[in-house]
Amino acid sequence: MRRDGRTLPWQRLPIVSTGLAGLLLALPVWSESGPAAGLPLEAQVQVCAACHGEDGNSTRENTPSLAGQPALAITNQMIYFRERLRRSDEMTPQARGLSDAEIQALAAYYAEQPVATPEGERDEALAEKGRALSRQQRCASCHGSDYQGREQMPRLAGQREDYLAYAMKAYRERTRGGPDTTMIDIMRGVDNEAIEAMAHFFANLDRE
Amino acid sequence: MIPSRQFPLALSAAGAIALGLATPLQAAEHEPAWAQGRSAEMADSPLAPHATPLTVTEKEDIPLDQLRMPDGFSAEIWAHGMPGARMMARGDDGTLFVGTRSIGRVYAVRDNGDEREHVIIAEGLTQPNGVAFKDGSLYVAAINRIFRYDDIESQLADGDDVAEPEELTEAFGLPDDEHHGWKFLAFGPDGRLYIPVGAPCNGCEVDEDTHATIHSFEPDGSDMRVEARGVRNSVGFDFHPETGELWFTDNGQDWLGEHGPQDELNRLSESGEHFGFPYCHAHGVIDPELGSEGACDGVTMPAALMGGHTAALGMRFYTGDMFPEEYRNAIFIARRGSWNRTLSDGYDVQVAHLSEDGERAAISPFMVGLLDPRENAFSGRPVDVLQMPDGSLLVSDEQNGAIYRISYETPEYME
Repeated sequence: MRRDGRTLPWQRLPIVSTGLAGLLLALPVWSESGPAAGLPLEAQVQVCAACHGEDGNSTRENTPSLAGQPALAITNQMIYFRERLRRSDEMTPQARGLSDAEIQALAAYYAEQPVATPEGERDEALAEKGRALSRQQRCASCHGSDYQGREQMPRLAGQREDYLAYAMKAYRERTRGGPDTTMIDIMRGVDNEAIEAMAHFFANLDRE
Repeated sequence: MIPSRQFPLALSAAGAIALGLATPLQAAEHEPAWAQGRSAEMADSPLAPHATPLTVTEKEDIPLDQLRMPDGFSAEIWAHGMPGARMMARGDDGTLFVGTRSIGRVYAVRDNGDEREHVIIAEGLTQPNGVAFKDGSLYVAAINRIFRYDDIESQLADGDDVAEPEELTEAFGLPDDEHHGWKFLAFGPDGRLYIPVGAPCNGCEVDEDTHATIHSFEPDGSDMRVEARGVRNSVGFDFHPETGELWFTDNGQDWLGEHGPQDELNRLSESGEHFGFPYCHAHGVIDPELGSEGACDGVTMPAALMGGHTAALGMRFYTGDMFPEEYRNAIFIARRGSWNRTLSDGYDVQVAHLSEDGERAAISPFMVGLLDPRENAFSGRPVDVLQMPDGSLLVSDEQNGAIYRISYETPEYME
């Protein structure tokens, strides 16, 4: 139960139970508040950096870059994690306890960060195949003609190739939940070869 | 849920063969729910549903100053800070319960005189749109589950945590399709709980006993009846204060044209009537694909047309004393606003006045200003209306997570 959509019950706990601080630490509900909740933005960015990279360009396998993502795309996914509408063992504990305003400030910060040049070499033949497939799948109708994302739709251009393939496969296998089932419909039955070609194309777009 | 409707696959299949893929990608098969029925020539159309904000809109950013109503009416922000606020139900002790869709919450607003404060009584649900209140219990319908919260207002009054609800999902046994699966709830004058089940598609053949229907049940989920058939997707209804007849809104099909088929205001005069979907739309428009000559025979025509793609949703009869006599037994109807047309329409509250014989209605603007026609842009999305005991009218704005209160004072020039 929350009072105003911003204060979470476990944030109120220490106030009403200061004498029981030692006991509170043992309660599972206490550990639900994410490590970044309540910190200044600079410190929050350091928490996120552990996985998503210092500047929002991820260097960790299957972990998305946040740099250059539309702010609303980040905001909505963080709210889905926080509200347990998109289940993630990794991200839900990080998002619990963050207020709407904290999430929006983080999203605005990452939206402003420049997208890094991808690692590895671009395979022209694979990229061309991915280009044709993504045109056929009409990816641009939501993600934008240059695949830079817009509003709640994430940027694909320059995203980590392994993460793009990982995410598309998870949609296909229906292991990636969330209130928006659009991508589940779109990825139904798409084979690994096609996914890998599209991932390669999107990841290397900014080199063009 | 995949509609039974077949999409033209020739183009995409040919493209896939040219690419030499083992498993061809068939784009039309993979389209998201909202794009079902979009023709090949519209494939690159920019039209798509507008995303609902999931975050709090600060009070100073709520477009109260843009609201326009007839002379004598004024609006205030009655409650705010509730992202995604949609359907409303009022408890016997005055608590307002508010359902949502994508944010998965149910809010309870307690009125302490001049101020309102809200709590989140449920979260993490799948589109808990439907809320209804009866005999001390709150009923909540999410896409896949139905709950009953007994004695909830006294728990809230005591400052207690809300007790775990009774789950009635199995008793009701409703389909859990995501597409048009969000539920509206209302109790009828017969004490039964009325629940629509939308078509699991934009346009498709349906089982007329399970989908595109309005059902009614005993409050415990027993004794199901099909009250109305051929109802594509109703997200709002109410019962005539004198006749007890069920009146309901219904959302017209997408991708059949800029202007229509229009959304409907319907009247159920006899249980089991058919309202046309998927063969006959609006005022007798035969479906170009599934309909044929005579498709509208035996179909109950709308009592009023609500505009093309305007998303006419929550509606209630007005029985209060505060508004002028001309509003007595008229219907206030929230139109959430269009996405499936290039020239936007809706984003307002309309009032429907019934004909003398009580069979037809004429609609007219009541609360406007959230749509800027010059910019073709909107700043709010009314979803539901609710009459308060003093005769004022609450309007929920999903876009801003706010609830407005509309009240009336006789204009000075009339005194």
